This record gives sequence, structure tokens and C-alpha cells, in this order.
Amino acid sequence: MRELVARYLNHSLSRRGFVRGLTKAGLTATAAQSVLGSVSSVSLAQDAAPAAATSKAAASVSATVANASAAAVKPFQGTGGAAFAEQLIACGVKYVFGNSASEDAQFYEALVDRPQLKYILTPHEGPGAAMAAGYVKASGEPTIVMQAAVVGMANAIGQMFNAWKEQTPLVVYSYRTDQSRRAGRDGFEEVANQEQIVQPITKFTWLSRRPDMIPETIRRAFKAAWTPPNGPAYISWHSDYNDERVRTEIIAQDQFDPRMRVRPNPDEIERAAKLLVEARMPLLIVGDEIYKAKAVAKAVKLAEMLGMPVTQVRQLYANFPESHPLWVGNVPAGTLRSQTWPKDADVIINVGNKFQHNSPAPIVPRGPKFIDMRIDFASMGNVMLTEVPLVADVGLGLDDLTVAVGQLMTPALKQKAAERADEVRRFSENARKLRGQVVNSPDWDQSPLIADRVTYEVAKFADPDAIIVHEAGSVALHSFDFNPIGGRELFFYYGAHLGSGVGTAAGVKLARPNQQVICLVGDGSFVFGPTALWNMARLELPVITVVYNNHAYSGPHSRVVSNVPGGRMVQTGQFVHDYLGDPDMNMADIARGFGVKGEVVETPAQLREALTRARQHTVEGKPYLLDVQVARKGVGWADKPWTPPIRIAGLRQKKV
Amino acid sequence: MTVRPIVLGLAGALAFLATASAQQPQAPNPGREAVMSKCFQCHTDAMFRDARQDRRSWEAAIYRMIGRGGLYTDEEIKLMADYLGTEFGPNAKPATPAK
Repeated sequence: MRELVARYLNHSLSRRGFVRGLTKAGLTATAAQSVLGSVSSVSLAQDAAPAAATSKAAASVSATVANASAAAVKPFQGTGGAAFAEQLIACGVKYVFGNSASEDAQFYEALVDRPQLKYILTPHEGPGAAMAAGYVKASGEPTIVMQAAVVGMANAIGQMFNAWKEQTPLVVYSYRTDQSRRAGRDGFEEVANQEQIVQPITKFTWLSRRPDMIPETIRRAFKAAWTPPNGPAYISWHSDYNDERVRTEIIAQDQFDPRMRVRPNPDEIERAAKLLVEARMPLLIVGDEIYKAKAVAKAVKLAEMLGMPVTQVRQLYANFPESHPLWVGNVPAGTLRSQTWPKDADVIINVGNKFQHNSPAPIVPRGPKFIDMRIDFASMGNVMLTEVPLVADVGLGLDDLTVAVGQLMTPALKQKAAERADEVRRFSENARKLRGQVVNSPDWDQSPLIADRVTYEVAKFADPDAIIVHEAGSVALHSFDFNPIGGRELFFYYGAHLGSGVGTAAGVKLARPNQQVICLVGDGSFVFGPTALWNMARLELPVITVVYNNHAYSGPHSRVVSNVPGGRMVQTGQFVHDYLGDPDMNMADIARGFGVKGEVVETPAQLREALTRARQHTVEGKPYLLDVQVARKGVGWADKPWTPPIRIAGLRQKKV
Repeated sequence: MTVRPIVLGLAGALAFLATASAQQPQAPNPGREAVMSKCFQCHTDAMFRDARQDRRSWEAAIYRMIGRGGLYTDEEIKLMADYLGTEFGPNAKPATPAK
């Protein structure tokens, strides 16, 4: 029900669709109309903005929902597998992403008569989990990933790690292959304490102790995963529990969701507001909690009130409109010291950025006063000195801070903010012009293409509201002008277990079928997870995949050269770790094997034509792949790189 | 395989750029100064030690940095490419020979 309410409030569901969804979920027509009335008042209150009105209306919804959900506790009798399916439905799950697991037979059996729960077979657990994560991130709706025992779980662990780092509420299940009466006897696929393997990369792991506790375990996993700060949860039980008959309860999600939306401490809000209005040069760092809370417009409003420049350190999403005059660009190299301007910020406020530190230097340097607003309290204060901590849902936090700043703004302060905004605008206009010079590269028209040319052409081609899924680690995006308020959106990565891009793009398209989805992926990343192409073909998910294929791991190449300057590798050209050619991989051929058409592209002109063909395919509902040949650039690359002389031809004594 | 930002090391950079040009006392060089102020915002000298290429390739490298968020004027690009193409050209000696 929570998802229905969220979709209605976000205007992605009509009144009729909302009522239909409620009745489908088991509410009577009267109860559904009552919920609609309350939710509509919330919607009006949100449009009118005052926080108090919103919470009053929200309380009214909660009361109505609570009454309407009195019947949401259903007694259940049947197999453990059927209880599993029923509880997922009650949790609001529509899609299950799984790989074949024979001990889940009773679950599959239960799906036959529960068509509202759709099972998506993914041919490898890793890209399958990436697809599920992409779906969760793009839809805001719950799902579950399931695999066979520890052997399947092991394949999904990489994407669980990504979900952990990216704070994606992904619920993962795999049974313990051992049956409860023979556990611990070294059975097939058995390992002791398999749930402990993923403990460091999950918010919650649990093993059901009894078959009738399967639904409770599922509920707890969803609650843990979806209560902010979000993160993955893992659940498991003995495989024979799915076959046993159980008497248990199935409980609707709204009955156990704590609906945690935290308002910041009002005293700290006042301190933060005072610091900001008195600052000579405040700076706003935005982060993913803004996108997740759908609070981009609120961040824009705060920045505009203060005439405050805005930047972002590595995140998944673009959290601020990049064409806004207060946007000064992403931080290029991880810490604010690498930023061109402003260099003299005296008050820095972070809203929702998790701050991935990849060097010992703190991202926010010592000196400026630092305000940190996020729900992810655990990572606050670990590295940076925090003058004002604001633990909050950033949507509510921005509401309160905006009100507090507004109350302090005198005419003189407004004048100061306006002058600062002009200064920021002058910088951002010039920066935009300078960034546009990328097309003047002497290599611009070369074949194989330089990565910047590929990016530029795709950016020119992409729809105004395209979603760009980006897993080309060595490629820095430009020219897209991302705008999370109705413009182009970005889905990058943060965890860096590779092989997520194609799966993520498939999941995003499943969630957002009416937006163009383009997957940008390096050849190295692509070959870690191409199996989701098959899902694109089978599910008719028309994603355009663009592989930047330089037949190399160029990121590791550059970093190795940097780590061993003047070394033997550079002198001899013998790099064992980075060249993926000899033979070259043909990604279009790989795609064809999964039922996706594609082509190899070698020149800028071919790229434009190929993108046109890609669009034609997607219009017809078919995915398409471009294998774009990209130049290797940097120190130590030969035209034909050396490969280790490991060939067994000379060792063969029999021609077999 | 993440993109790993590099810690700023201006002191090392200065020393390195000094050794790269035969350790002669150096007259003010606007290209060198532009490299110091622009490149070392993100890179350490390790990025330059092994790079030996002609001016055109250095210019292309600078434009790649624009794609990554670098902000340079036409004049700065020219100065940096001239300097790097001369001091770190194909025939320049390695600055830190391998041991």
C-alpha cells in the first residue's frame, strides 16, 4: 500500500488506478475511497508545502490506513513455499528475480495461481541481482532476489556488495541446501552458517528457525532493508521448510513498516541557518539522499535563497540540475581541494552525500565550518569535523532549513545573496563555455574514436528525459546536462563490483518503460555481466547498450603506471594485467548470442548512423547494442600491446 | 577498479618538474606555471614521470582532462601543450630512471 500511496503522490498513478490498486490489495471499495480522500489531502498539503499541514494530513492517512488494514492480517495454511509467495505479495512485491533453484519447488508451484507475483528468470545471479537493484532504484518498489543455496548466493554477493555501498534496499533469499534433519553432514552444496558469509555487507541477516516463521522472517527483511538508511537484507531457511505445511499469518506491509521519516533537531536547524546566512561564501554539496527523497527542487530552492554554489562528490545519481546557474560542476578528483571554484568557501553544507573517501585527505578540508545533513547517521563525523549535524530525512530537513533561513533573511542579506548568485552565475557560464571546448581535441575525428567523442554523440542523441546507466569506469561523462527534475537522469555506480551496468539498465527499463534507457559500459565491465541482455530480449526491454570497447582495462593500466613510475613495466611495455585483445572480443556477436541485435562501430560517422538504427529498434520494442571501437590513451600503450607468451601449441604432443 | 583520486603533492611536483628540464636554474615559464596550477589540482607528479610524447599528444591529453571536468582557457591549453611538448617530448630523458 505504501508504494501505491507513493506513486499516487508522485502523480505516476491516477485516482482510478490508485483505487483499483487498493481494492486489488484487498480493501473494500468504501475503505479504498476513504484512503483516497486522506491521501488526496496529503497531496494538497504537499503542494501547499507547510510541513505541519503535511504531517497532519499524513497522520490522517496513517489512521485511515490503519483502520483499513485491520483486515490486513490473514491467517494462512499451506506449504512454506506458498506462505513465502503470499508474504511477498503482502509486502507489495510484483517482480521476483531468480535463478533456478530446485528446492524452491513449492514456491514455484505457488506462483502458478498467483499471477500478480511475476518471476523473472535471470541466467546468472550477479546480473540478475543488478537487474533487481536497478528496478528498485528506478521504481522505489520492493523486490526480492533468490538463488540456489550458497552456490547461487556466492554469485550474487558482488551485487549485494554494491547494494550495501549504494544503500539499495534489496532483499536476497537463498535456502540452505541441507534439510533440517540432515544438516551438518557435508551434504551437496552445503556450507556451515552460510548467512554469515554476507553479514558484513547486509543490514540484516536471518535464518528462519521454523517453517511457520518464514513470513515473519520475510517481513523483518523488508522492514530492515526499507527503513532508512536503506541497505540489503539476506534471509535463509532449511530447504525442506518450503515443502512443509504451515499455519501462520500473512501480514500486509503497512502493518510493520515504521514509516521512518526523521525531522532534524530544531536547535541544530537554527544554528545551521545562522551559519549559512552569515557565510561569506557558503557551498552546497549534494548527494543521493536528495534523489531518493525526491527533494531536488527543495535543494534548488535553498541554494537559490542563499545564492549558494552547488557541487557534488561521486554519487550514483545527478542530484542537482547541471544547467542551473548555481551548479559549478562535479568535484573532479574526490576532494574539494581539486575544485576550481570556489576555493574560499567558509561554510560548507552537505545534503545527503555519503562521501566516498578514496584518499587519506578529507573530502571537506579542515577550516570551513561544516554542516552535515543526512539520514545516514553512522557515517557522519567519521572523517570531517562536523559543526552542525542534522540527522534527518533530507526532504524534511531541507523544508525546515529553508523555513529557518527564510526567517533570518533581512533585505541586506538578500542583497548579499543576490550579489553572490551573480558571481556564481558568471563562473558557471564561463565554466560551461570552457567545458564545451572538449570538441576541439585534435583527436576529435579519429578512428578508433576517443571516448569523449562517443560520449558527446550519445549525449546529442539521447532523449531530453533519457536515463543514462553508466558503468564505463574510466569514462567521465560530459555534455548530458543531467536534470533530475524531469530531464535526463543518471544511474552511476558507487560500489564498483563490476558487471552491474547491463543488469541495472534492464531493471531500470522494467521500472520506467516510457523513458529511453541508454546503458554506457566499458568492455571490461560488460563482459562481467552480459547475461541480462537475454532478459532484455525476452522481456522486450528496448535498452540501447553502448560498449566503449578499447579492448583493455584502461583504469587499472593508468593506475599501475602511476603506482610504479619509471618501472620495468613502462620500460619494456610488458603489462600483464590490462590488455583484453589478441583476440579481440566482439561484443555485437556476444549480444547476438543472447538474442540482441547490434553492430561494431569504428568511426564517428558510423556511430551517428548506428544510433539512428538503435532508435529504430527500440521504437519497435527491441534492445540494441553498439560495440564502439575506442582508442587506448595514456602512458605505455603500444599499437599492438604485448601479451604474456603463454601458448600451449608448442607443448601439445597429440592433436586432440 | 574504482577511479582513484590522487593526493595532491605540490612539493614533489615542483621538485620533479625541476628535474625534468636538466636541472638548470629555471626562468619563469608560464607553461610550467599553468601545469603547476591546473594539473596538480588532481594529479601528482607520478602522472608525468613516464609520459613522453609530442606536443599534439599532450594537447589531446589536456582536452581529455576537459572531458573530466578540467577548466582551461585557450591560452592556458596552448601554454601547457607547448611546455609539456618541449619538456616531456618523445626524446626527453626519463626523470626517474628505474632502479
